[in-house]
Amino acid sequence: MTETTPVLDDLTDFAVREHRSLWLDAWRRLISNRTAMIGLIVVTIFVLSAVGAHFFWQYDAKMDLDYGAKLVAPVLRVSEEFPEIHIFGTDKLGRDIFRRVVHGGWNSLRVGLVAVSISLAIGGNLGLFAGFFESADLNRFEKTLLMAGIGLSLGALPAWIARQPFQSLLFGLLGIVSVSTPSFLADKSKLRRLLFGIFGMLVGAIFGFIVGPMVALVCGVIGLGIGLLLAKPVSGKVFSNIVMRIMDIILSFPSYLLAIAIVAFLGPGLEKGMIAIGVVGIPIYARLARSAVLSVTQKEYVLAAQSVGEGHGRILFKHIVPNILSPIIVQATMGLANAILSAAALGFLGLGAIPPEPEWGAMLGDSYKYLSSGAWWAVLFPGLAIMFSVLGFNLLGDGLRDALDPKMRV
Amino acid sequence: MGRYILRRLISVIPTLIGVTLVIFLFQRLIPGDPAVAMLGEHATAENVARIREQFGLDKPAFLDRDALAEGDLPGFFDSQYVSYFGRLLQFDLGDSIHRRIPIAETLEERFPATVELALLAMGLSLIIGIPIGILSAARRNSILDGTTMVGSLVGVSVPIFWLGIMEIMLFAVILKWLPSGGRLSSGVAIEPITNLLLLDSLLTGNWAGFTDALKHIIMPAVSLATIPTAIITRMTRSSMLDVLQEDYIRTASAKGLAERVVLFRHALKNAFLPVITIIGIQVGSLLAGAVLTETIFSWPGIGKWVYDSILGRDYPIVQGVTLLIAIIFMLVNLLVDLSYAMLDPRISYE
Amino acid sequence: MKPLMEIKNLTTRFHTQDGTVNAVNGISYSLDQGEILGVVGESGCGKSVHALSIMRLIQIPPGEIAAGEVIFDDRDLLKLSDKDMRSVRGHEIAMVFQDPMSSLNPVYTVGFQISEALILHKNMNKRQAKERTIELLNLVGIPEARKRFDNFPHQFSGGMRQRAMIAMALSCEPKLLIADEPTTALDVTIQAQIINLVIKLQQELGMSVMWITHDLGIVAEMVHRINVMYAGSIIERGFVDDIYNHTLHPYTMGLLGSLPSIDEAPGTKLISIPGLPPDLVDLPSGCPFFARCTYREERCAKEQPVLENGLEEGHSVACWRWREIQKMGVS
Repeated sequence: MTETTPVLDDLTDFAVREHRSLWLDAWRRLISNRTAMIGLIVVTIFVLSAVGAHFFWQYDAKMDLDYGAKLVAPVLRVSEEFPEIHIFGTDKLGRDIFRRVVHGGWNSLRVGLVAVSISLAIGGNLGLFAGFFESADLNRFEKTLLMAGIGLSLGALPAWIARQPFQSLLFGLLGIVSVSTPSFLADKSKLRRLLFGIFGMLVGAIFGFIVGPMVALVCGVIGLGIGLLLAKPVSGKVFSNIVMRIMDIILSFPSYLLAIAIVAFLGPGLEKGMIAIGVVGIPIYARLARSAVLSVTQKEYVLAAQSVGEGHGRILFKHIVPNILSPIIVQATMGLANAILSAAALGFLGLGAIPPEPEWGAMLGDSYKYLSSGAWWAVLFPGLAIMFSVLGFNLLGDGLRDALDPKMRV
Repeated sequence: MGRYILRRLISVIPTLIGVTLVIFLFQRLIPGDPAVAMLGEHATAENVARIREQFGLDKPAFLDRDALAEGDLPGFFDSQYVSYFGRLLQFDLGDSIHRRIPIAETLEERFPATVELALLAMGLSLIIGIPIGILSAARRNSILDGTTMVGSLVGVSVPIFWLGIMEIMLFAVILKWLPSGGRLSSGVAIEPITNLLLLDSLLTGNWAGFTDALKHIIMPAVSLATIPTAIITRMTRSSMLDVLQEDYIRTASAKGLAERVVLFRHALKNAFLPVITIIGIQVGSLLAGAVLTETIFSWPGIGKWVYDSILGRDYPIVQGVTLLIAIIFMLVNLLVDLSYAMLDPRISYE
Repeated sequence: MKPLMEIKNLTTRFHTQDGTVNAVNGISYSLDQGEILGVVGESGCGKSVHALSIMRLIQIPPGEIAAGEVIFDDRDLLKLSDKDMRSVRGHEIAMVFQDPMSSLNPVYTVGFQISEALILHKNMNKRQAKERTIELLNLVGIPEARKRFDNFPHQFSGGMRQRAMIAMALSCEPKLLIADEPTTALDVTIQAQIINLVIKLQQELGMSVMWITHDLGIVAEMVHRINVMYAGSIIERGFVDDIYNHTLHPYTMGLLGSLPSIDEAPGTKLISIPGLPPDLVDLPSGCPFFARCTYREERCAKEQPVLENGLEEGHSVACWRWREIQKMGVS
């Protein structure tokens, strides 16, 4: 049989499709996606002009004033009457709108990047750890850390009341004891809880007594509660629940409104706007990262890594983080668009950049009162600038989603 | 079902307390002495004292450990936050600093204006967004779909305050078709029943009043509706696309059902679940967007009120209205959850 | 006797970003009244796509039925208007799909989804449709059918859902039932129940059945004829005994060889076919099985073999070397 069979020397699978890496594949999809390319081009123009203007085109907002050229309509050619070219016209102080729009881009870019960085750094990490703790079994060390943390932070209340910082350390220690004695009286858990409760009450009451009997009473009651809580080592789910509950509180406010309210109390300023917009964005990334982690930890490759005994840190950063990056990247791109839009809204309400700093929203807010005089250019161009830069990031984010989403692969 | 609703209501309480805490903490963000910040540098000592009294600024923020040290247990709880929370429980949102009248009083006259605007905007978004979303999903990659996708992206990218300004420029300044702001022309009166002017004028058969109110509300409603429309369209489309990939849609087609029936009976009910969530979130964006829209169109609702109060540093108003909006937003999201349970048989109430 | 359905040169493609996928490449065969036909092949060989093409349930775009005829009851289904085609679907040709878990709409009751077809094609009113649906549920062996009518799919087990799907498919007494791997997602005991149910119903109702599967073992017991498909083409076709006893195509031999058998001595190695099926975007110009074939020669790389008559009546094969392979005496 083997004689009559002409065995070809290489039985290689030329049928198998050539291997392509995920990122290369994504990039190819991105550049073949027309809308994404338009977005990429718009974003590139926006970033280059903003950065270029900031570093290579001197502009001193405080000195920019020309009462002789107030509210001049766009001038494209030099003439007797208009000695200078203003392709976007001038505003109520005779400032060249084109110049201010280009320099305003730098501020928008800054706000976007800083705000998204704040949201991403805080929210992304919270969500990452919340999701991981929720799904993974904590090891001894992590449990100890968690319980010590809970003891310390809860203990801070009686410590503050009795002005005895040392007290909270004792509660932290109680948390550690709780983890390291899981079998101690475990079958008589009521007795165990009672012992922990009594110890907590004693800690509270003794330290409280230094200040006064009433303080001893209050601290004793609080200590009892903390002791009872600490008796049972908690799972990582508690951490996740606490984090997500706090996120829920932030999400209970419509995001715009919360940013406006924060800046209303902080006082106006570009930096304060960045912080407000960044804080408001935290829960979005926290939720996204958490749900992405939860879906990834059920995947076979993570289970496999766990089963061969890889450490938690290694699993988290080698197996989980790379696999949740794509939704985060998409959200961050869209988040830039959102931050620019929010910053403009704050600026428009007079809560963002402080005049005469060039900022698109503030430029609109300045000029719209002159609408009845027909100075359309003073509101048209800053608005278009906002719209196109936001649109650019949104188009790019949309294209990235299509490019990075493996579900869409045929 | 009743127990499910009750349980969901109870689960909202901790978040609600958290919200009051955040709003209470707002005033801690004020740089310097809050009383001086509210009244300005040249405030009279008497006024500063009044503000300190109203806010209990001489009390500690949360708990009074000094009082406790002296053995005064009730005094331990006599703090700014506790008394703020106690007032809230009695539906007391505080007083305006400058007008010195309860916030709730002004709210009564301002709130219906915002509700009317938000309802109309939401109605517009739903009427436009859902059918277009369904159609572009059904005709994926068609010209209609392409236009919808680009249009909705432009919709979420356009600053609504700028859109409002451009509308005023075109329709009020240049064409003079519509009034540039306000809720009614002077001289036009509508007998108040619900304080929703469109509804009241219809109820009383006041046609002149109705057209005037409609002319005033149309521009703010359109600009306020822009973002929700775009988002609802996109969500409906993508959710429909997901559902149309499902096997049960193929089953429905294999049964010989017409495309219309497959789309509206078999796909829409499934696709609608995520859309409802988005609609709930959009209610929040409408109420928040009202600050911008109402400011531009001088619409006498709570948004404009917040803006004026920010400028006048009338912080209690900002706090009160923010709290109110947050509570409404939470209730809407609760309703969304409940309607989920009603629409999806897989979710049980227990 | 005139066949119930005759397929000529059916060709279906999908236009994707990575190129044109040639899913079905000009297949032709006929199906008799009352026949049970098995369509066998690996996943991705075009067996499901060809069924969906018959039903015209291919999404266009990206799909395209590029050529061919499907003559069913003297009409070319591919040329029918959309409206006429709808009255064929579910009425004259019905289909049962692979995954019963996802093939029923989760937000409607099972009863409603079955009655829907009756109301549509049989002009029944709601009450009549309900009674008929309950009969059907009884027929497919769902206990307490009247109570189950108002259940939602998630309240059914997998096997029960597939029974409900079969009830739905049979509701309008179709002339042809296409079952697309209806047992793949079910566990083994339930698989047998479903197969027996379909055979029983086929005999009672006298319809034709097309049973699509990747598992030759399943079809051996129930079908009359078998189409073996590979890379979008039929590479061997014949009555079930001929296919099993005088296998002609090396691919079918491989499929049979990879079938575990109880008769085999323990320790016998399972034979598997090396390699993977060809990329449907970039089909080789010769025989599609060339890369994996142990008997290949130069000619196979250049020219694609077409179906030709084999040893028995009605047994055909698409292979250049089937005679030589037969002489080698391998089976």
